[in-house]
Amino acid sequence: MKRYIFAAAVAALCLGLFCSFPSMNDQVQAASTEKITVLNPMGTPPPIELKPMAPRLDTIEGKTIYIVNDGYPGSNILCAEMQKGFSEQFPNTTFVYKDKRGGMGGGDQALWDEMAEKADAMIIPLGH
Amino acid sequence: MRVQYIQGPVWAKTGEQLRKSVVFGINPLTGKKVAEEIVDKLTRPLAPEDTRTGQIKREMGPPTYTGTAAELQQLYLEKRYTDFMPIILPTEELVNEMLKSTSHDPDEPLGRMFPGSGAGETWTYTVKVAAINAVMAGAKPEYFPVILALGSTGSTAINVSDNGFAAAAVINGDIRDEIGLNYDVGAVGPYAHANVAIGRAWNLLSINGGNCGKVGTTYMGTVGNAQNALATIIAENEEKSPFQPLSVRKGFQKGENIVTLFSGWGILSAKNWKVNEWTTVMDYPMMAKAIHEGQTPGLFGTVLVLSPPIANFIADDGYDTVEKFTEYVTGASAKPEPKGKFGGFNMGPGFQVIVTGASNNNYWMAGGLREGQSIAIDNWR
Repeated sequence: MKRYIFAAAVAALCLGLFCSFPSMNDQVQAASTEKITVLNPMGTPPPIELKPMAPRLDTIEGKTIYIVNDGYPGSNILCAEMQKGFSEQFPNTTFVYKDKRGGMGGGDQALWDEMAEKADAMIIPLGH
Repeated sequence: MRVQYIQGPVWAKTGEQLRKSVVFGINPLTGKKVAEEIVDKLTRPLAPEDTRTGQIKREMGPPTYTGTAAELQQLYLEKRYTDFMPIILPTEELVNEMLKSTSHDPDEPLGRMFPGSGAGETWTYTVKVAAINAVMAGAKPEYFPVILALGSTGSTAINVSDNGFAAAAVINGDIRDEIGLNYDVGAVGPYAHANVAIGRAWNLLSINGGNCGKVGTTYMGTVGNAQNALATIIAENEEKSPFQPLSVRKGFQKGENIVTLFSGWGILSAKNWKVNEWTTVMDYPMMAKAIHEGQTPGLFGTVLVLSPPIANFIADDGYDTVEKFTEYVTGASAKPEPKGKFGGFNMGPGFQVIVTGASNNNYWMAGGLREGQSIAIDNWR
């Protein structure tokens, strides 16, 4: 008998839950064949602004390439190794290591100005 | 911009390891030498599509979808409109019912959201989009002003970071009882419809309104965070707390309906196991101080989530205001913050106290969360 009472209580509880949310109950009831129309929940993405890439180099021979550390942990070690290792692999190219001020998200106008004057290209490791 | 993939992570590797894996290494996606690929990207002539200018507008699909309930549940799952759980399908009728709980125009811009940590693009969404997501979450219309207040902040509930950050919101004021928020047994867990549905609505609005939580693009949590399953909605137990409510400490009137955002590691982080000490004499202020010092320096500082008994122990020890307690924990007597910084991330020694939960035992939590902005909920009625 106790088991029946328990089952009845559970059934009553379930019924109560569904009765509390008529929308869910309605949708469960309608789940089989009735077609309903629902709204798209997405927000609006920003338009993509297309920017042309900087002109490419015809060769890296004789050129100066800056390798810029943006401050993420380990990026300084990677950039230093790139400067050394790429100099070994491409001895006719000058690789310059630089630390960017302002952390990962900030700009460094002084460095941008320096590169505009002295660099032919830049490599910057980004992210994590 | 041309992008070169390298095998991560870079962090914590030695120079020799990076020299081997990157500088003289192979790109595992292409099987080619990294150095040669970089040179190619610097020298390969630009293709016509590399020099295009202008603007690309993106359509987010039709305004409505039609089908059976089962078909639509599957469609929304496949489109990643959900949190992988069944939703209440957002019919116009239900959305209009939700919108009746606010005086704001459905087409009013509500928020601008990006996936956090300075990453990704910023999406915008309206009051109506928030209502659609609130319906999907199973929220009752009376919760909607809270959901709008959360949405108006533009703060995502699901941060992109590979750290796997959590989001939480603390609610103060009479609305706690008005809408049935739980601040008793299991207060920070999923044990009341209002807490659960509001947290889920914030998550879904972040997923859909802000395009957050998309694995591989706008979600990169390395091991993830269980708190991301449901944004944590905490109602303070103002009645049993010996302290002023958080909102009052932030300058609002007692009883005023305020939601305050928190973000960080979560409400129980690995450094905080001192909260699980069991001894006969429990010096809670000293334990809190030790936890805070253990977390300093840190990214988010410390948040204590105290049950009323613990809060009262602390008050009885002479720290009858959060200000006095904070001064003890973070003040001159505290261990000075070590010099140096961790990758520029350190936010300094923040400290905050929330009181919630029941009085059936002396339990509490301590985590790494930092408070953000506080919003008046009633502005969104």
